[in-house]
Parts: sequence; structure tokens; C-alpha cells
Amino acid sequence: MSEELEEKEEESGVNWFLWGLTALAFTATVYAIFVYVPTEKQEGVVQRIMYYHIPSAWLSFFAFFIVFSSSILYLWKREREWDIYAHSSAEIGVVFCSLVLITGPIWAKPIWGTWWVWDARLTSTLVLWLIYVAYIMLRLQSDAGSMRARYSAVIGIAGFLNIPIIHFSVLWWRTFHPKPKMITPEGFGAGMDNSMVMTLMISLGAFTLLYFLLMGQRVRIEKMKDEIDQIKKERFYSN
Amino acid sequence: MGQLGYLFAANAFVWAGILIYVVSLMKRNEALRRDLELLKETLEKDGDR
Repeated sequence: MSEELEEKEEESGVNWFLWGLTALAFTATVYAIFVYVPTEKQEGVVQRIMYYHIPSAWLSFFAFFIVFSSSILYLWKREREWDIYAHSSAEIGVVFCSLVLITGPIWAKPIWGTWWVWDARLTSTLVLWLIYVAYIMLRLQSDAGSMRARYSAVIGIAGFLNIPIIHFSVLWWRTFHPKPKMITPEGFGAGMDNSMVMTLMISLGAFTLLYFLLMGQRVRIEKMKDEIDQIKKERFYSN
Repeated sequence: MGQLGYLFAANAFVWAGILIYVVSLMKRNEALRRDLELLKETLEKDGDR
């Protein structure tokens, strides 16, 4: 068997294992959200949205952190590989940041009586989403090359600087958005019941696995595009 | 809309979002894989001539 074939088979095996593990984790998440965890006393059944809202936020922040670190590595090493990771992760980040901006207002409406308020947490999250949408638009509108990669890397790095502002916004300013309940000065998950912490952890795990699964797929797309471009270029210049 | 309606809506948006994105990635992957195979086949045929 050729090395390339062996590599592909191995990759496919890992991929199926990750698909299976992610499916299992999401089954556990749905069970925990709708069966295991008790209904919160003050907010009622709608509070269960939190188990999707917070993991979506975590996934998008993690994805943007990968954009940030890959962009730094690209500017330093000028290797296309890091540009691929940054671009792929930015797209995933935008998808899940969109889910945060959708599930947040759906949760807010029955609790605050309004879909949206221009408080620091919500506004800074919207700004984060706009920055990375701009990042993707820039890549779509410009030709592939080192110039596009450089400009994208700068936006990818600058955009991430907004994340500490988002995190601390509920502590620095008076906001409608509640203060963190998982990471508190009293300890990890001190503001929540144990079953709620457990459900949130399961959901966070499932979303993290999903990130790696999506990232694998997205990176493969970019690599295939590069391979096609390379073949076309070689063909064009050889004729 | 009652509380269950909001929970259902949030749940539906999350699952629909994930599903649409996964399907779009799979479709893009498959289309590129086909293009790549076709390109390689064409090159091989040209090389044989």
C-alpha cells in the first residue's frame, strides 16, 4: 500500500472516531439539558438556553484565539499553513458568534422584557462579530496571495483584543447582562448548582469536540483549493 | 410566546445553524475533491498522448 493511501486511511479513521465521539457528547448534552438538570427557580425553563449560549460563546472565543495565534505565527514565519488555520478558524468563530447573538436575545426577551439592549457586553460582542465578518469579507474580495494574508492577519490580531473587553465588560460597567457564574472570585462554578455546572461542562466539551471536527473539514477545503491552484499554475506555465 | 416557545426557538436555531454549516462544509469538500480528481485525470490523459 502506498504511503499516501495509508495516510488517507489513517486520517479517515481518526475523522470517524471524532465524528462518533462528538455525536456521543451531543447526545449526552441533550440528555443533560432536557432530562438531568433541574429547572432553575427564578428564570424557569427558558434558563436552559444557557447550556447552548455559553458553549457557543466559548467556541467562538476559542476559534478567535486560534485566529489570533495563527495570525501572529503567519506574520512571523510567513508560512501559508498558518494563514489557512487563521482563515478556517475565523469562519467557524463567526458561525458560533452568530449563534451567541441569536440565542442571547431569545433568552433575554422573556427575562428582560426586550430582545436587545445596547449595554457593554452585548454591544462589544456585536462589534467582535462585525470585525470577523469584515475579516472574511476582505478575504473574499481580494486575490489570494501574501498581501491578503498579511492584511487578514492584522485584522485577526486586532479583533481578538476585543475579547478581554467583552469578558470584563460586566465587571467594569453596569450592564443588563449577568456577571460570570462559572469563574467567580468565590471559586469555579460557585454561583451555580452542581448539576448545572456538570451540564454546562458536558455541553462545553461537546462544543469543543465540534470545533476540532469542523476545523479539520475546513482546513481540508483550503488545502484542496491550494492543490487545485498549484496544478493549474504549473499547467499554465508549462504550456 | 410562552417560555417553552423561547426554549424551542433557541434550540432550533442552534441545531439548524450547526447542521447547515456542517452540510455546507461537506458539500464544499465533495465538490473540490471531484474537481481535483477530474483535474488529475485530465492531466494523466494529456500526459499519455
